[in-house]
Amino acid sequence: MRSLISFFVFLFAAAVSALSTTGNRLLVILDDVVEKANYSKFLADLESRGFQLSFETPKSESLALFHLGERSYDHIIFFPTKTKGLGPKLTPNLLVDFLNAKGNLLVTLSSGVPTPNSLVSLLAELDIQLPAERTGLVVDHFNYDASSAADLHDVLLLPPPGPIRPDVKDFFAAGAPKDSLLAFPRGVGAVLGPGELLTPILRAPRTAYSYNPKEQAETVDELFAAGEQLALVSAFQARNSARLTLVGSAEMLQDKWFDAEVSQPSSGAGKKAAAAGKTFNREFAKRLSGWTFNEIGVLRVNWIEHHLDEPGAANQSNPAIYRIKKDVKYTISLSEHAWTAWTPFTLPSASDALQLEFSMLSPFHRLPLQPDPALSTDDAAAYSAAFRLPDQHGIFNFRVSYKRPLLSNVEEKNTVSVRHMAHDEWPRSYVISGAWPWIAGIGVTVAGWLAFCALWMFSAPVPAPGGAAGAARAETKKTQ
Amino acid sequence: MSADLLQVLASAGKGKGTRSLLRVIILALIAGAAVSSRLFSVIRFESIIHEFDPWFNFRATKYLVANGFYKFWDWFDDRTWHPLGRVTGGTLYPGLMVTSGVIYHALRALTIPVDIRNICVLLAPGFSGLTAIAAYLLTNEMTPSSSAGLLAALFVGIAPGYISRSVAGSYDNEAIAIFLLVFTFYLWIKALKQGSMLWGALCALFYGYMVASWGGYAFITCLLPLHAFVLICMGRYSTRLYVAYTTWYALGTLASMQIPFVGFLPVKTSEHMPALGIFGFLQLLAFLDYVRSAIPSRQFQTFLWLFAGATFGLGLLGLVIATSAGFIAPWSGRFYSLWDTGYAKIHIPIIASVSEHQPTAWPAFFFDLNMLIWLFPVGVYLCFQELADEHVFIVVYALFGSYFAGVMVRLMLTLTPVVCVAAAIAVSTLLDAYLNAKSPNPEEVQALESSEGKRAVKSGLRSTSKPVVGVYGLWGKGMVVGAMVVYLLVFVLHCTWVTSNAYSSPSVVLASRLPDGSQHIIDDYREAYQWLRQNTREDAKIMSWWDYGYQIGGMADRPTLVDNNTWNNTHIATVGKAMSSREEVSYPIMRQHEVDYVLVVFGGLLGYSGDDINKFLWMVRIAEGIWPDEVSERAFFTPRGEYRVDAEATETMKNSLMYKMSYYNYNNLFPPGQAVDRMRGARLPEVGPTLNTLEEAFTSENWIIRIYKVKDLDNLGRDHASAAAFDRGHKKKKATKKRGPRLLRVE
Repeated sequence: MRSLISFFVFLFAAAVSALSTTGNRLLVILDDVVEKANYSKFLADLESRGFQLSFETPKSESLALFHLGERSYDHIIFFPTKTKGLGPKLTPNLLVDFLNAKGNLLVTLSSGVPTPNSLVSLLAELDIQLPAERTGLVVDHFNYDASSAADLHDVLLLPPPGPIRPDVKDFFAAGAPKDSLLAFPRGVGAVLGPGELLTPILRAPRTAYSYNPKEQAETVDELFAAGEQLALVSAFQARNSARLTLVGSAEMLQDKWFDAEVSQPSSGAGKKAAAAGKTFNREFAKRLSGWTFNEIGVLRVNWIEHHLDEPGAANQSNPAIYRIKKDVKYTISLSEHAWTAWTPFTLPSASDALQLEFSMLSPFHRLPLQPDPALSTDDAAAYSAAFRLPDQHGIFNFRVSYKRPLLSNVEEKNTVSVRHMAHDEWPRSYVISGAWPWIAGIGVTVAGWLAFCALWMFSAPVPAPGGAAGAARAETKKTQ
Repeated sequence: MSADLLQVLASAGKGKGTRSLLRVIILALIAGAAVSSRLFSVIRFESIIHEFDPWFNFRATKYLVANGFYKFWDWFDDRTWHPLGRVTGGTLYPGLMVTSGVIYHALRALTIPVDIRNICVLLAPGFSGLTAIAAYLLTNEMTPSSSAGLLAALFVGIAPGYISRSVAGSYDNEAIAIFLLVFTFYLWIKALKQGSMLWGALCALFYGYMVASWGGYAFITCLLPLHAFVLICMGRYSTRLYVAYTTWYALGTLASMQIPFVGFLPVKTSEHMPALGIFGFLQLLAFLDYVRSAIPSRQFQTFLWLFAGATFGLGLLGLVIATSAGFIAPWSGRFYSLWDTGYAKIHIPIIASVSEHQPTAWPAFFFDLNMLIWLFPVGVYLCFQELADEHVFIVVYALFGSYFAGVMVRLMLTLTPVVCVAAAIAVSTLLDAYLNAKSPNPEEVQALESSEGKRAVKSGLRSTSKPVVGVYGLWGKGMVVGAMVVYLLVFVLHCTWVTSNAYSSPSVVLASRLPDGSQHIIDDYREAYQWLRQNTREDAKIMSWWDYGYQIGGMADRPTLVDNNTWNNTHIATVGKAMSSREEVSYPIMRQHEVDYVLVVFGGLLGYSGDDINKFLWMVRIAEGIWPDEVSERAFFTPRGEYRVDAEATETMKNSLMYKMSYYNYNNLFPPGQAVDRMRGARLPEVGPTLNTLEEAFTSENWIIRIYKVKDLDNLGRDHASAAAFDRGHKKKKATKKRGPRLLRVE
């Protein structure tokens, strides 16, 4: 009975802590702990999803990202801090180490607060450029909130962002009510480098631009960036699938912008405010933090199996060695984490493909993996491919490399040796019709030799009268 | 009294039975001496496999013993030549391993549990004892004097030319191959002398064993037909020759084709064509011989000889055509380099880079053979004196052996047996002449001379008329015999000295002397290999120059990219390119080949000459052979043509991965600005090289072995140079300051 209870307790604990696939220890860095009241709804949402929040200021003595070489936290949120640097506990190198240790970061900026140096250099390492002088302001004279920023035009109103490519899963706008708007108040825009690890989640409208309100109040002569090159919310996913999300506007996550009433400017003399309504910020913040903290968009490889696909062969799983020109079958089982549970992974679109490479130095086969319903379960989808091994011995890799924006990386390599034909695996000579003349030749030679021996043995010279006559003739020759 | 004793002793040596007993005892002693003189390294160091190739043989033997013969036969080795793998069972000469395996199992069957390593270590000395006996048998076929055989056995037993490849621990193919070589020759002579099919078949059997053991079997394959050809040209064709040769060729070729590595080579390659040609020629001769005996006509006979010559010429022509048309493989590079010593250096650097393929320096002959080298021509001359079939063999062997030994250091080994045999004939003839205590009876000589005529006696000096002078004088005999004995003793001294000093170093362990004279062992190799074994994943791929491939496979048990079985020049050139290029070029190569660790040998701290910087030019040359556009040997030399490693070194040199790995962190050992490479006597630049794509994993005690770990791709997608700069604390330059058009994201 007790064990049953403890089992249920364990199940419950597992269910709570399993919300994020990485862990639930969340560190919030604030200038002042009282500031957290501004973000109470956002933080309450996080807590309700099972995260254990700890609050620290950058100057705190007890702050340590690592303890005995292990991460002390699984995730960090940076809210804007007024300090120029973040102190010795949060140097860019430590933050890079945190990412390398699979920790996730949610970094928020604000145009009113200069970004700390530590974060600027961290973002520079990720190829994310912030405006010079550590501050900037994104404005748009066409898509602003008419009710709160009628003059400054610095509260942008945007539709929830769809997928950046048609073949990428829609994480942030799916299911959003029509005409819902995101408010992006007083934010900083960033410029992303060309690397494939970066993904812009929310891009500024074509008419937006970034300027420095302190120095460029009168004229904007040198533009930092404009239009869609300005990323307002951007995501970085490292090779080890650690995630960093950069939110240009911390205010966006504040209580007052959650479900705030906004209205778009009237675009013309005659019309009234085109659209007005509640912002989508709360749901967007949930999805954004959920993605950052590994609640959605996480792929898991459950198992990989490959075996001989020959009739009558002993179906040993995952053998270390195969023979050339044999048929094999490869199966991989994938799950995707969706908030609370693992679900079978399906390809986001028909144009996408999960591919298997069979490679030594370069791929010998590159095959699409097909869904295998027989091996799929409720929480996992199996994909398989069957093919014939190449006529080349060597050390090969079954390789699945599936890397898509916003999905965690799948990079699986299973090494097998492919050996040559053993001496007794070739067809026997009598099976090969081309060898029959040679086999016949051997037979004829043997038979001929035996016949010759027999002939030789039974044809000893008989002392016949002819022989005697010959001797006599020799005799006569001699005497003559 | 003493005279009586001498009499007894002399009479004891008279009886036939006693003599054979003495001979057996002496042979046993010689075999014992041969074995024991090879044990220096075991006594001084330990029972350990030496050098490089033996490590592979040892590993293969262990595989054979563990998995049985058929598994060994079909062995696909996925721990060498990553990622190509090696069909090891089909690309090695299995004779050595199978011999050890048989000995191992035989001892086990006799309930003598011996470690397979000890069998491998002691196999070569054991077979050297057998070689001595084989040399005794071979020499006995040459001369009626039985002392010649014993001398030959002694010479072969302790000649450094043979010891160099057969000390304890030198577990190489040559360890058994030389015994097989000599014994096959003995059987050939026996078959030829007797015209016996049995001996011919035995000869073919041992030839097959030889083919299974060593690539040098081609020496027999070419020497026996050559001997037969010379005999035919001398007009000595006989049915004995016919029987011996055809038996050997037919059975021997069949036997050799059973070895997977040889396969159809005997009917496909040029090296084997002489044997086939002589075989056909002999058939023709036999036929003509038969016809000639049947039809005794002088004109017809000349016609037949002409016919034979024409057929021979036609056959040769056909061979040339078949070769040029591609039916028969042309001579391989290794054989070309036997004719033109400069060939390999220009065309196949991989062959030229092997130290044992270098031409022999002349002191090496004296070093390896000592006094035998001047007794050798005497022996050959004595063979000319008699010139029976078997002596022709010695003459032919001597000629060819000398040529090949002059071309390639390694082939000194094949010359040694004939030198020993010839020298033994010379010494025994000399000793027989001078130790013969009998002086001719003056009366008989007088009678003999008087029968010839009185003239000579009258006109000579007075002293010459006395018979007991000159050659017959005890004084003269004593002088010659004494000198010979001194020579023999010096020979023994020399052999022991050479064996002890030059050939008994395992080269895995280096020995040096401390100032107080005590021995100091430098054990960096094993230290590093042990580190690899204990600290890396079992399938961590190690990249190193090919010299160390077998040792890493044997001692560290880790997969390697290239090893001493240099069958794939391109793969070796790939490693050479990775070593000689910039990091940015090397890194993708290493990634593609899944390299986890890179191992280099560095002798700068200790003054160890066999290090990778000294071998580096070969890596460059071999890489240049495949990628002439990307690697250039010239770029590693200063404008004045010097190969330097100090501050004056060229940029290419300083940026090459090998240079960086060798000198990385080396400066920290010295006060600033005083880093010195003791091997090359060069003062190194004040700032050492930086490594971005590799990190130092291990450096052995004396810095001989340095191991680097290949970094993974940067987790944040940066290139390694900027990632390493960030780790060192350098801030990234702001990209906005960059000039030129801005790069836009387009997705």
